[in-house]
Amino acid sequence: MKRTLLAVVLVTGAFVAVFLGTRFGTVHLSTSEFIAALFGGGTEMHRNILFELRLPRVFLGLLVGGGLALAGSVFQALLRNPLAEPFILGISGGAAAGAVLVIALGLVAAGSVVLPAAAFAGALLAILLVFGVAAAADRRLDVRVLLLAGVVVGSFFTAVIAFILSLSEARAVRTAIVWMMGSLYGADWSNVAVVAGYTLPAALVLLGLARALNLMAVGEETAAYLGADVEKVKRVAYIVASLMTAAGVAVAGVIGFVGLIVPHGIRLLVGSDQRILLPLSFLAGAAFLCLADLLARVVLAPIEIPIGVITAFLGVPLFLVLLRRSMTG
Amino acid sequence: MIRTPLPMKPSPLLSRVSTLGRVAALGTFIAMGFVGCSAPDEASSSRSDPGDGAGESSEPLETPLGPGAFPLTIKDASGSSLVFQLPPTKIVSLVPSATRTLQALGAQRLLVGRTEYDTASALAYLPSVGGGLEPSLETLVALEPDLVIRFAGESDLSTPSRLDDLGVRHLAIRLDRIADVRSLIGDLGALTGSEGRAEELVAEMDATLHEIRERVKGRPRVRVAYILGGNPPWVAGPGTFIDELLTAAGGENAFSDLAALYGAVSPEEFLVREIDLFLAPEDGGVSLPSSGSPLVRVSPGLELPGPDLAEAAWHLAGLLHPEVFR
Repeated sequence: MKRTLLAVVLVTGAFVAVFLGTRFGTVHLSTSEFIAALFGGGTEMHRNILFELRLPRVFLGLLVGGGLALAGSVFQALLRNPLAEPFILGISGGAAAGAVLVIALGLVAAGSVVLPAAAFAGALLAILLVFGVAAAADRRLDVRVLLLAGVVVGSFFTAVIAFILSLSEARAVRTAIVWMMGSLYGADWSNVAVVAGYTLPAALVLLGLARALNLMAVGEETAAYLGADVEKVKRVAYIVASLMTAAGVAVAGVIGFVGLIVPHGIRLLVGSDQRILLPLSFLAGAAFLCLADLLARVVLAPIEIPIGVITAFLGVPLFLVLLRRSMTG
Repeated sequence: MIRTPLPMKPSPLLSRVSTLGRVAALGTFIAMGFVGCSAPDEASSSRSDPGDGAGESSEPLETPLGPGAFPLTIKDASGSSLVFQLPPTKIVSLVPSATRTLQALGAQRLLVGRTEYDTASALAYLPSVGGGLEPSLETLVALEPDLVIRFAGESDLSTPSRLDDLGVRHLAIRLDRIADVRSLIGDLGALTGSEGRAEELVAEMDATLHEIRERVKGRPRVRVAYILGGNPPWVAGPGTFIDELLTAAGGENAFSDLAALYGAVSPEEFLVREIDLFLAPEDGGVSLPSSGSPLVRVSPGLELPGPDLAEAAWHLAGLLHPEVFR
């Protein structure tokens, strides 16, 4: 009952977030202007604001936020570690190293796909390195080794970034830092399409693993007795969640807190049945990031606040309230 | 004449500048004609006006290219050629130097927006689009500009492609050297139909620089470290207009061997390079070695390349060689 209620609230929340993110921005549109532009009328400028600026950001926010929260849930279950989040296994480090490298080399001017492509390549490299190390240690994939390998590879990439930045020009350093803070500023329909192409199939695959992840929470051996192909589940979960994260990072940079706080918040509300937790995390992450982006755009308009600031300022107090409630209740 | 008078500057110079200016005007006029504007048919594969008909691009070479000649082609710092059939009427400049230049050209009426960095009270009536990098695109689009002037290069990766998607024309500028400032003044002068004023500004700038060079001629060169701020401190290297201004003002950039335009250096370098003078921003929070060299603080005006550049050089020369600028 509580679960159904929460599901209804979150679906409604996602629609409200989409509406608010489209309705409001730094430019005030009257209700009639908004409705006219929405149905293809009104001035070209108003249509541009809705269809070229607001809607791509709203959809990118939904996809990236949902993807990060879902990946966070999966990593927490897979690694059986409450500190796990999408970036814990070095993906953000790899993506940032790729991005910083092309920025420092001045290659980014060649086209708007260069930076996302390099970030995605860096993330892939990190995924392969971590997986390679963890798989080489043992034929069975030991999640503790996976976690260690991820943290070590992540630290290595952080050092690579520091090295590249120390040799870079001021302009490149600024660009790199802004990129690493994460933003939906560059959202356009082409990167919405690319992220959707990764996130939606990946989300379906991960939701399909929910039952197996439930079994694994009891213990890998028990899960195997109960008929789960534990090795396959671990590998698929790791690779698919990582690819989904990599696609989001490539276009939006490293947006923190969503992947850590949203899954925990949902777990505090509905418990840790992955069949409920995974879809609700996706919904909540999507609505949350979409709203956070709206606030990032309008709070100090026309200046944009880094979205990571909003996710932290909103997410942390909300999370603490939930945590306190679960302790006392 | 829109000039900020500096207390150091003797007023008779102003009149001398205008006389010298006429002499220099011819040279800069010629330079501007060829640096700033090129023949329209050079831009075959370029962004062009929405109203650019098919016949117009095959305009013969003989099209007169005098002051005020439209269509006008400007090759910007990103390598794109922009063809202007008509002068722009609503400009948003994301680059404070360009904003300042438009003001000095008497073309402020064309501005429909400003950035948070344009703090001059004369611009306060304009709506702000946020920062010069990654401005609020919504606010920008709502101003319906027919030209956006933006920073070239990798500082802001998304804005150029988003402006393309939105059908807003944009001109990229890069200001590394004094020559870039000259061509900026020339380009914006041609675009806004104020070529005459642009020639005057460039002539005045060159005349002031010439006067400074004359005064410091034969004086011992002062070794200067120009610090932009930060810890470890960032200094200006070769190929920057700061380096050029230091040289013009009778100084010598102690970091003229830096591998980048601007770079962070170890404080040890300050000790071994026999620096006579440190120039640092007022609020840069830079900790310098107490090696006996005097630290002089300069106003941040030196970091805004634009029509006031010669004034800044004059101020700088006064710091380096007070004996000849008293």
